[in-house]
Amino acid sequence: MDFSLREEQRDVQGLASQILGDQVTSERLKALDATGYRFDEPLWQQLAEAGLLGVAIEEACGGSGMGFETLCLLLTEVGKAVAPVPMLPVLVSAALPLQRFAGDAIRQAVLPGLASGRSIVTAALVEPGNDDMLNPFAEARSDGDAWLLNGDKHMVALADRAQYVLLAARSPAGPVVVLVDPRGQGVSLSPQQSTAGEPQYAMVLRDVRVPAEHVVASGERARAMLAFTRQVTLAGMAAQTLGVCEKMLAMTATYTSERHQFGVPIATFQAVSHRAADAYIDVANLRLVTEQAASLLEQGEDAGEAVTIAKIWAGDVACRVSQSAQHLHGGIGVDRDYALFRYCLWAKELELRLGGSASYLAELGDDIARWAKARAGIGADPAVRVA
Amino acid sequence: MKIALTKDQLKLRDEIRGYMAALMSGPLAEELSGEQAEGGGPEYRKALRQMGEDGWIVRSWPKAFGGRDAGPVEQYIFSDEVIRAGFPYPFLTTDGVGPVLAEVATDEIRETIVADILKGQCIIAIGYSEPSAGTDLASLKTKAERKGDKWLINGQKIWTSFGHVADYVWLAARTDPEAVKKHKGLSMFLVPTSAPGFSFTPISTLGVRTNATYYQDIELDDKWQVGELNQGWKLITGQLNRERLSLVNHGPCELLFEQVADWAARADAPEGGKVIDRPWVRANLARVKSGIEVLRLTCWKQAWLMGHAQLGMDQASAAKVYGSEFFVEVWRLLLEILGQAGTLAKGSEGALLRGALEHRYRTGSVLTFGGGTNEVQRDIVAAAGLWMPRSR
Repeated sequence: MDFSLREEQRDVQGLASQILGDQVTSERLKALDATGYRFDEPLWQQLAEAGLLGVAIEEACGGSGMGFETLCLLLTEVGKAVAPVPMLPVLVSAALPLQRFAGDAIRQAVLPGLASGRSIVTAALVEPGNDDMLNPFAEARSDGDAWLLNGDKHMVALADRAQYVLLAARSPAGPVVVLVDPRGQGVSLSPQQSTAGEPQYAMVLRDVRVPAEHVVASGERARAMLAFTRQVTLAGMAAQTLGVCEKMLAMTATYTSERHQFGVPIATFQAVSHRAADAYIDVANLRLVTEQAASLLEQGEDAGEAVTIAKIWAGDVACRVSQSAQHLHGGIGVDRDYALFRYCLWAKELELRLGGSASYLAELGDDIARWAKARAGIGADPAVRVA
Repeated sequence: MKIALTKDQLKLRDEIRGYMAALMSGPLAEELSGEQAEGGGPEYRKALRQMGEDGWIVRSWPKAFGGRDAGPVEQYIFSDEVIRAGFPYPFLTTDGVGPVLAEVATDEIRETIVADILKGQCIIAIGYSEPSAGTDLASLKTKAERKGDKWLINGQKIWTSFGHVADYVWLAARTDPEAVKKHKGLSMFLVPTSAPGFSFTPISTLGVRTNATYYQDIELDDKWQVGELNQGWKLITGQLNRERLSLVNHGPCELLFEQVADWAARADAPEGGKVIDRPWVRANLARVKSGIEVLRLTCWKQAWLMGHAQLGMDQASAAKVYGSEFFVEVWRLLLEILGQAGTLAKGSEGALLRGALEHRYRTGSVLTFGGGTNEVQRDIVAAAGLWMPRSR
């Protein structure tokens, strides 16, 4: 048992914290808001030059191969800074499954560009009316060597900038996972306004032809790839949520210690300090389940249940800590001249990504039922979810 | 990071689980299911001696005492398994008072009482709380006065668990009534329960039996005063973090979670299918499971931090608050699954899981205020964890 970070991990954490702390200032965020496009490309380049975008990409593909746990540390730092960079969709949801499941040609064509910041590949995970990324509505039918895709994806981060969008569709032979050129024929993008302001796009696919060389996986392998993508995305989200919540909590502790009413700091009222203490406990708990999920995934162990539990906690803690931070700040907390609102928006965005806590509780409950029935020697579970 | 038990630790867990299962079978289980549920009966004494003989008690102690210096993670595994098995092991004796005596008591006490503790032949009850000194423990009134070369003890303690079967009471008493700061005038004593002037009356609580203990003109030799005079507060608080951890072990609720899931998987539901096919039953089980996971990780991390001398009081207090309040929630969520029959007590016709949850919920409410009330724990979290100014 070891809860400590390796030295190289602490270095990465420190470097990211320094760069993001220096660069992501209130002024810079406001300037970016004014452009109407919340992606800080110079910052992305700076992170690339510091070698931070490639921490979980293998050395053979231009990264430093430090693993998923290290990437989660970065995500936590991104959360703490509410940095307007697409670390989750690009480096987690797209890069990691490609690294693990794609053939050499795709890996070599895509991953070095991601590590160096030269290019962006994003992932389209959800669809209108469908947060279950394992069961897409979008359809693929074979067309010789190629596939023809029809369907709708939405909330695709930075689809406009991406070299490719990684997405899945169903076919009679099971799911297929492909890379789609968002500028290709049959693809249309329209901007969406999400609560935290990340540039997101609705993506309509009409008879989009995907050549064989852009097919990443199909059938059982595609199923495994989607399951893996979902696990790393959920664990990464938990890590980013952790950073968002840690910072909201720290801001709240500082603010209530300085804000005076009735002649004393409001932190000296137990009603205030105890609510902050509850948020502290929530954040500590989220840290534990996040660390567990990240470390199991890094070691290639079975992480299914740990990831589901991390997602449940991340959703609940994001919601509770956000509201406590807002409440304990009073009016200043909702003022857009003060940074807290950005954290609250990101907390909600992350809370609901790939569905909220209730759906994961249901999933965990189904898993428990299956386990308990098997253990008791009771027959097949009628409510087993079909992936 | 590697957040998992090592092979050796898993082996240890299985070994203790097997050992405790064997120990708990037969007459001991019967004794613990009756009037002597809190321990102290003849079978209990026998089992404790056996554990001493088999080296389990000394295991976590330093090599100087014949121990194996087992680390906090190993000790957590041990305590978790022992509690999970349902054995009311005297942790406050073996892991609380015992090590303090070993460190600060006289050679004579070390050679007799500490040796007996390690052999499983000595049980020590804790005499801290008084009718008017609970959370504000330092305001306690039990006093020890000099009378010639003896100490004269007078006072009353309350919630003295094990007090009716213990060999000694680890007593906090006021030795300097003039001390400006009230916690500066306290000293620690070991009071033999055989001493004239010691008596007790039972207190029957919602969940368990405990005692009020009385100290009337008890005369003690100097050797029973332990540690520095008037510096007892340090000995009281020194073990608190460790004690708090032992209050919120995850094993017992994991066991009940498994038992309830198993019951729900087998029990027919009137609408068809099994009880566990009901969506709300699954949701309750999932809530319990996701909470237990955090409890287990919390306890592991605390133990690991202890082993690296990094456990802060904010972390220990946070764990105590979370664990104690989560327990209350667990018993509720699991009882809901059992439904109305969940309230049938042990021994009753129709009781489910031998009334385990009916008993649990009754004992569970104690922890939110026992072992340091959660309001004070939250004060500690805010001050030591978030650096917020204290409320007083």
